[in-house]
Amino acid sequence: MNTWPVELTLDNCIKCTICVTACPVAAVTDRFPGPKYEGPQAARFRHAGQPTPDHSVDYCSGCRVCNMVCPTGVRIAEINARARASMVAQGALSWRTRLRNNVLARPETLGRWGYRVAPLLNALLHSTWARAAAHVLLGIDRRAPLPTLVREPFTMWFHGRPTPRGAKRRVIYFHGCSTQYYEPRVGRAAVRLLEAHGFEVIVPPQTCCGLPLLSNGEFEAARALYRDNVRRLVGYARQGYPIVGTSTSCTLTLKEEAPELLDIHDDDARLLAERTFDLSEFLVSLAEEGESTPVDLQPVARRALYHAPCQYRAHRLGAPSLELLRRIPELDLVESRADCCGIAGTYGFKREKYDIAMRVGRPLFDQVRESGVSVVICDSETCRWQLAHATGVPAVHPVELLAKAYGV
Amino acid sequence: MRPRVDVLVIGAGLAGLMAAWQAAVAGCRVRVITRGPGALFWHAGCVDVLGYAAQDTERPVAAPRDALLHLVNANPAHPYARVGLEGVETALSALQQVCEAAGYPLRGDLSHNWLLPSAVGAFRPTCLAPETMVSGDLARRDPLLIVGFEGMLDFYPELVADNLAEQERPARSVRLDLPSLRERRQLTPVTLAQLFEAPEFRRQVAEALRPKLGRAARVGFPAVLGVHRPLEVKQDLEAKLGREVFEIPTLPPSVPGMRLYTILVEAVRQAGGDVFTGMEAVRAEAENGRVQAVFTEAAARLNPHRAHAFVLATGGLLGGGIVADADGHLREVILGLPVQGPESQTKWFRQEFLASEDHPVYAAGVAVDERFRPVGAKGVPLYTNLFVAGMTLAGDDVIRRRALDGVAVATGYAVGQHAARSVQEAMR
Repeated sequence: MNTWPVELTLDNCIKCTICVTACPVAAVTDRFPGPKYEGPQAARFRHAGQPTPDHSVDYCSGCRVCNMVCPTGVRIAEINARARASMVAQGALSWRTRLRNNVLARPETLGRWGYRVAPLLNALLHSTWARAAAHVLLGIDRRAPLPTLVREPFTMWFHGRPTPRGAKRRVIYFHGCSTQYYEPRVGRAAVRLLEAHGFEVIVPPQTCCGLPLLSNGEFEAARALYRDNVRRLVGYARQGYPIVGTSTSCTLTLKEEAPELLDIHDDDARLLAERTFDLSEFLVSLAEEGESTPVDLQPVARRALYHAPCQYRAHRLGAPSLELLRRIPELDLVESRADCCGIAGTYGFKREKYDIAMRVGRPLFDQVRESGVSVVICDSETCRWQLAHATGVPAVHPVELLAKAYGV
Repeated sequence: MRPRVDVLVIGAGLAGLMAAWQAAVAGCRVRVITRGPGALFWHAGCVDVLGYAAQDTERPVAAPRDALLHLVNANPAHPYARVGLEGVETALSALQQVCEAAGYPLRGDLSHNWLLPSAVGAFRPTCLAPETMVSGDLARRDPLLIVGFEGMLDFYPELVADNLAEQERPARSVRLDLPSLRERRQLTPVTLAQLFEAPEFRRQVAEALRPKLGRAARVGFPAVLGVHRPLEVKQDLEAKLGREVFEIPTLPPSVPGMRLYTILVEAVRQAGGDVFTGMEAVRAEAENGRVQAVFTEAAARLNPHRAHAFVLATGGLLGGGIVADADGHLREVILGLPVQGPESQTKWFRQEFLASEDHPVYAAGVAVDERFRPVGAKGVPLYTNLFVAGMTLAGDDVIRRRALDGVAVATGYAVGQHAARSVQEAMR
């Protein structure tokens, strides 16, 4: 585990420029000069209490590709995220931009009130005139792939069903905002899959992980959410229960992003981080500990492209989802060779960044279209929305196909 | 615990990728882990097998095969001697085949060294060079024109041309100031290489260059002639200019090195292996003389990688596979293997820094047995399923010998096969 303070790692930079050659954003726009310049180099000119010297760091999408290719361990994406936060703190963004960013970065707020009137709200939010107004007044691009609210949030389904009996062990499920309000099917598949492995699934009250706020530089608001989650979940971690999530960016936030960016390194934060798992990581580790698959997997005769999203690769665990998907008989898997789909959380929803995001994703979109797949598999919700939006091919979470293969 | 892979390769330079590719071709489930794709992004894209022999450090080796024969006879612990001359030849031709199949042929063989211009216009003896570079051969004395681009900070055509001219190779330089480049905020080699893939950009370059060709018989560009289809770019430019065209390696990031990286990673994947970046190996676990697992740094935990066999291709002092403590003690970073080399910092270097003899510290590395397994003081393998390749190996100052890439390719190839064999033995 890397315990170096983020900013200190800039001294490891040897100016090899590998990060610039790999940066998906710098490749398609001159508005972002590249990770080396914005990260380790510009960071030398940023000092507490002084105005930030360069605003182009706001064009960093936070995809972390730079971190993944850096041969000397500079935490470029985190340096950029903190630089953006000090821009926000210093008032370098207009009130309108901050309003827009806060609207995008608080999916829970909309979901919590919105699901009750979902059909009405969906019709309203997806209407041409509302999108045009949001485009002009707020800066939310009218073409961006806004998700659709469901009428029955995940937890309503979960708590409304009879508790299965006979489980010998327990697991805590962290669903995240998108499973709760937009894609409860992912949560239903996860619960069934975990139960098929003999777990009793517990879904405690929880809140947004805070990542959208973190990546918009709204650190104080993110801190409140993160603290809230630590408070609600650490008791389970202390009892030794694994906390498993299907939203890869949520689990990464609980593991690393939030404590690191917010400098929260107390025992509770560390314990929660250690006990948090991505679902595929968790299932692969069960198999590695010698547990056999509880059932024979049924064939899923489809041709599918798997894309490991940036936030998933940033767990630095390889590709556990791919390892699981490879076990499904007759699933004809095409692997994505692209680094990023472009959306990067809330980035691609923004008017000034929509085109950049679409250009970043183009090689991946082309691969999806050319490979003739009938479905795209991806661990991150906003990436799924972007991929379906750009290619017209439906996108699912790996757990959905796994549940199918398990017959649950 | 059941391993998810057969062979875990640590490091994705030439040695690591060659080993991974060979093990995968032999039927093993292979995983390559690397902190960042370092070595090949800094690499000139050529394979230096033996540029300068230890007994004559002034004149470049003309025929590597003869010099190699002499070297393996004189030094049986040398990595080349462990592989054997035949093994070196097999490994090189395997690399040539995979590059050829990818449409990027490497020209040359052990009977002859090319003399190619370096980024500062020095003579660079190398054995295998990509087709895009060989017209720069300085055994020829016909006049050269060296081209640079205004705004590109990683290549200095004047420096190259002046140094070549001083060494009796008629050379001039020209710097193109193209309107389409002026808008770009920065010009890395990769940006330019991407531009060169577009026919329209090549037309602009040829148009600007044609009036300046003079009596040059060949035109040297920085090595940015396309990322994916360099041969096509070269041939198109030759047709447009009516001159032979060649590439000269640039400062990093090096496009020809990246091309090799892409070809080898693809070869590993085609053979069923996985390659993951962003994974720093920090420690290992061993039991009964076998390495059981290597752990990498991951978000909020150490990630265990269990395998039947492990390949250590983490580089030497330059690549980070071997580090020096503050007192000058050398150590291998992941398993703490004993490092053969000077015992104290006072013995790292010779008295005269620019002396023609080698400095002992650069030959430091891990000593191995004939199957490339690291050995202890008595020459007995420390672990039966751990294999070492490339710069991590002890035995020679391969940078000074200009033998770095040849040692990486040959030992990587051999280690891939040793690892595969050890997996087969373990399964039996």
